[in-house]
Amino acid sequence: MASPREILNHIKSIQDTQKITNAMYLISSTKMKQAKKKLEDTEPYFYTLQNVISQILRHLPDMEHIFIEKPDVKRTKIGLLVMSGDKGLAGAFNHNILKTARQFIDHTDHDVKLFVVGELGRQYFIKQNIPLEENFLYTAQNPTFNRARWIAGRLLEKYKSGEFDELHVIFTRMESSIVSVLEDKMILPLVRFADVDIPLDVRQEYFSLAPSPEEALDTIVPNYVTGFIYGALVESFCSEQYARMTAMESATNNAEELLRDLRIQYNRARQAAITQEITEVCSGTRAQKKKKGNNSQVHYLNSSSFHLGSG
Amino acid sequence: MSTFHIKIITSTKVFYEGPCYSVVIPALDGEMEIMANHAEMIVATCPGEMRFRIEENGEQYRAIVGQGFCLIANNRATLLADQIERPEEVDANRAREALERAQERMRQKQSIQEYHMTQAAMARALVRLKETERFIH
Repeated sequence: MASPREILNHIKSIQDTQKITNAMYLISSTKMKQAKKKLEDTEPYFYTLQNVISQILRHLPDMEHIFIEKPDVKRTKIGLLVMSGDKGLAGAFNHNILKTARQFIDHTDHDVKLFVVGELGRQYFIKQNIPLEENFLYTAQNPTFNRARWIAGRLLEKYKSGEFDELHVIFTRMESSIVSVLEDKMILPLVRFADVDIPLDVRQEYFSLAPSPEEALDTIVPNYVTGFIYGALVESFCSEQYARMTAMESATNNAEELLRDLRIQYNRARQAAITQEITEVCSGTRAQKKKKGNNSQVHYLNSSSFHLGSG
Repeated sequence: MSTFHIKIITSTKVFYEGPCYSVVIPALDGEMEIMANHAEMIVATCPGEMRFRIEENGEQYRAIVGQGFCLIANNRATLLADQIERPEEVDANRAREALERAQERMRQKQSIQEYHMTQAAMARALVRLKETERFIH
């Protein structure tokens, strides 16, 4: 059994760690509150945007446009935007997102151009020797619309210049306030809906695009991409904070459990030490007494005879 | 006069949702007014001023919109823009600072993409500045 001093040291170090995890828990829970507020504010926009875009796609006139899929052209180069966190200690958050991205890269036979938001993801891919776009340095902290604008601007420029012809976003979405799911979404090019699922007797709405379909799409699609990236940034940030909060909460609880066990161990060790000391003292005195008794045997005999006599 | 349902949504909030008599939006080729039973269409908007009336013969509310688009279908309109602010919400100093920043960036050498970004930022700042000035006087 470890000595009480060793156990005390262990307890001390766990208490220190617990203070840190507890502080991180408090910080991430306040950040989480802010992120959640932002998420709630932006969710109507995020989902309406996607609805409207799919509505537009259903009713789009026959036309060719750079943002719309050409059915007979095979796409070969993929741009992949991965949203990881800036910092670790967030449970499985970063691990999951990087694993999904890795699988995506390993399983596709297209060229992949990698764009990573978040320091941790960048470090991971550099270590794995997977080439990623340099100078694409955006933080995952406190997403703003401006940052989404910059990211979308850079990606769209590369898309238009033909560096890639498909754009995917991998991010973590808050499904509900406790469940987050990984999502892989292709945002460019926009895919037309197949005509088959519209019954013949339903009146087809016809939308005219103003000022002209080309010009309208030129503005709407970049807007959609920016909006989508902003939404994804916010969802991802919120998930990260949530993951960190739960991870730190369970770390604090585990520390509490460890401390309880160690305190019991410490008390046992302390009691054992005390018992041992007492035994030592007792046996010491007894030995001393024995020694003394041998020296004055008369007294000892007398007293014992007295005892015998009385018995 | 009959009404139609409008939903004005920005990236940070639902700006207005409810019945409306008329709305004027800054389309790419000039202002456009939408009233009840408008034809179904999709309109791209540019940074500018929008006005909408939610009471019959009432006053027009003004707002500053960024880039976005508007979808009109079944007597319902959905206007989505990255930012929409009421004139009194726009801080004149902030707008002026944004304009100066954009002008400063304009002077520097930059890539085409940066140039477009700066140009868009400048357009936003100019519209906002114009509106605040009108609001103050």
